[in-house]
Amino acid sequence: MDTEKLKTTLKDYRVAIYLILLITSIIIIFPHPGPNGIETNLQFGLDLSGGSWIQLEFQSAVVTFKTSQPVDQFVTDLGKRLNADVSLVGADKIEIRKLVPEDELRQIFSENETELVSYNQGVSKETADDIKRILENKINSLGTRDAKTYVITGLNGVSRYIRIEMAGVSMSQAQEIVGKQGKFEIRVVTTGNETEHVVFGDSIESVANPSQNPPNSNNWGVSFALSPEGAEEFRQAAIKYGAVKDPANHNLAMMLDGKMVYSAPLSSDLAGTLQSRASPNLVASTGAGDKGKEDAKNLEIHLRNGALPVEVKIAGSGSVSPELGGQFKMWCVIAGIFALVAVGISILVRYHEPAIVLPMVLINASEVIILLAITSFFLQLDLATIAGLIAVLGTGIDQLVILTDEILHEGKVPSPNIYLKRLKRALGIIIASAATVFIAMLPLALMDLSTLRGFAVVTILGVLVGVLVTRPAYGHIIMAILSK
Amino acid sequence: MIVLALSLVIVGMTFIHTGLPIKPGMEFTGGIGVTIVTQETPDQLKVTFADYPLVNIEEGINQGKYLKFDTMSDDKVLSLNKLIESKYNGAKIDQIGSSFGKTLQDQAAFALIISFIGMSIVVFLIFRTFVPSAAVVISAFADMTMSAAVMNLLGIQLSLGTTAALLMLIGYSVDSDILLTSRVLKRQGKFDEKVHGAFITGIIMTSTAFLAVFAMWVVSWIGGIEIIHVMSQVLLIGLIFDVMNTWLTNVGILKWYASKGKSKVSSTLRGGV
Repeated sequence: MDTEKLKTTLKDYRVAIYLILLITSIIIIFPHPGPNGIETNLQFGLDLSGGSWIQLEFQSAVVTFKTSQPVDQFVTDLGKRLNADVSLVGADKIEIRKLVPEDELRQIFSENETELVSYNQGVSKETADDIKRILENKINSLGTRDAKTYVITGLNGVSRYIRIEMAGVSMSQAQEIVGKQGKFEIRVVTTGNETEHVVFGDSIESVANPSQNPPNSNNWGVSFALSPEGAEEFRQAAIKYGAVKDPANHNLAMMLDGKMVYSAPLSSDLAGTLQSRASPNLVASTGAGDKGKEDAKNLEIHLRNGALPVEVKIAGSGSVSPELGGQFKMWCVIAGIFALVAVGISILVRYHEPAIVLPMVLINASEVIILLAITSFFLQLDLATIAGLIAVLGTGIDQLVILTDEILHEGKVPSPNIYLKRLKRALGIIIASAATVFIAMLPLALMDLSTLRGFAVVTILGVLVGVLVTRPAYGHIIMAILSK
Repeated sequence: MIVLALSLVIVGMTFIHTGLPIKPGMEFTGGIGVTIVTQETPDQLKVTFADYPLVNIEEGINQGKYLKFDTMSDDKVLSLNKLIESKYNGAKIDQIGSSFGKTLQDQAAFALIISFIGMSIVVFLIFRTFVPSAAVVISAFADMTMSAAVMNLLGIQLSLGTTAALLMLIGYSVDSDILLTSRVLKRQGKFDEKVHGAFITGIIMTSTAFLAVFAMWVVSWIGGIEIIHVMSQVLLIGLIFDVMNTWLTNVGILKWYASKGKSKVSSTLRGGV
């Protein structure tokens, strides 16, 4: 190939886009020598880096209903009847924070002149976000680095599972972290920085969601109730340490694992009440505006002592030790290289022409590099994703074979004009088969079949990159090579 | 045809037994899967895990062992975890509860059905003529049914990995069928010559893909990577059947179609270059 031809080939926009993408990808992956051998910017999932995952299932249901009763009345009645926390999460949707079987619920509904329209196990998005926050708080407070929580929400908007992934933590450690509750305590300031114990978290009987206090004002707070004994202890301590007589100098402080999370004086109303009797129902105000609301949400979590608003069950869990993960990583690289060599040998046997085989194998390998770079932004590489990459290698080479054979039809190298027509036809076949792979993988990519999502996403991306970038580029590169 | 009928019988029987065309594995029924590297023999392992519901042990080449346990209580799971962590340096443990397994299984079955329907629609949109499109869909269906039958015979269970492999098989299978059908419908020339030309391309495609997957199969076996190993196993089985279904079943239908509706083909579809 002379330099003139090389230039025109490089100037072809398809080839240019391909080269730019490839170079960008290599820069993104950025392989460089590090203390532990070659390091890259790739993100590895748990099965390659080592760590644990736990998937929890919410023991709760989101139910759509149609009622002839006033909605508020219905919700309150249902809550009493089921002895569960029932709240309205949409115009005709309630969340029941207790796992009541569908038939049982249908029965209760019909007794109340209400129709059960749909039943889904899980919680609403808001509750799921709360739970996520509680779990993250808990994990962070224990200093676990590199933990991720994912709420798994179905297409119907109901979240049934939450998945927690912790790098470098063994299974039993992970289960302890998730199951562990914080130690919550309310203390009262005596003099200066000194505080004295008032009550522990186990005296808190219930905690409400953050609310405006008074209603519709912009002041946020969390109401909570103490047990009768707790309320009496609270009163005694408040009197003993002077918080009732001089609230301003004797703040009440809430501590979680010895760390202060809230501190405020008694309100004058409450101070007055406490002089004569105990008051189990308390409100902790957190201030106005978005900040007040945010603080209220966090305080709610602390008051709940790290307990989740709904019960959870371990649906699944798993762990990979870092040693084994490292081995898997090595074998995956070897598998990839072997697959590529196998592909090379196979097409060398078919075409006997290094000028064709080399670009084919290189294009094939570069598809994988580009994919690795794209996935590094939003996917962790795990075993299933790598299987997907190798599958892409397989379909990719198939399509390059189709291209080459269409162009070399009847063994002759065609004139440029006919060449382009054939290339177009070949790309037609490729797009057709790519479309089927795309459709076949789409359900897996959209559904959340835990580990298989990465596989499907990689396959789909592989098809897209192949059809849009690398295969058209290959068509033009091979033209330049063949017409020499 | 006989193979397809036989496969349908096997798959049908499995379906009656389990409610699924392929026997569901641990991920779908619930249970625990453990990968460890140890010099202990399966018999020694059986002694080590005598207190736990060990179902079976598979061996890799490189001293890798893959153990499957039945479902057990949360406390038991925790103690099993601790035992494995303390005894073996380097383990992979996966535990799936039975209700979660059921959810996964339903979704996997749903994904397979939706994928297949989606693929069929795309194929019909591409060719816009009934018989050739149906031929592609039939041979993809035959591929999957036969692979499923062989999976049952070999005792390969339906898991997340094998579900993905079956879906991938839809893609691989349709690849060569689309090539064949496009060549036959959109090119001029004698039917047999066109088929022969497509066959040369198609067989190199399938054998190249076969070799790539084979490499993956061997390496994952040595490396003890169970999920990649079963996936490649299913793909290998499927690719072998694909050769048969594309070049016997699909060609057969196309040949019948070409001889029946010759005039219709040449008047509606222009030949290519």
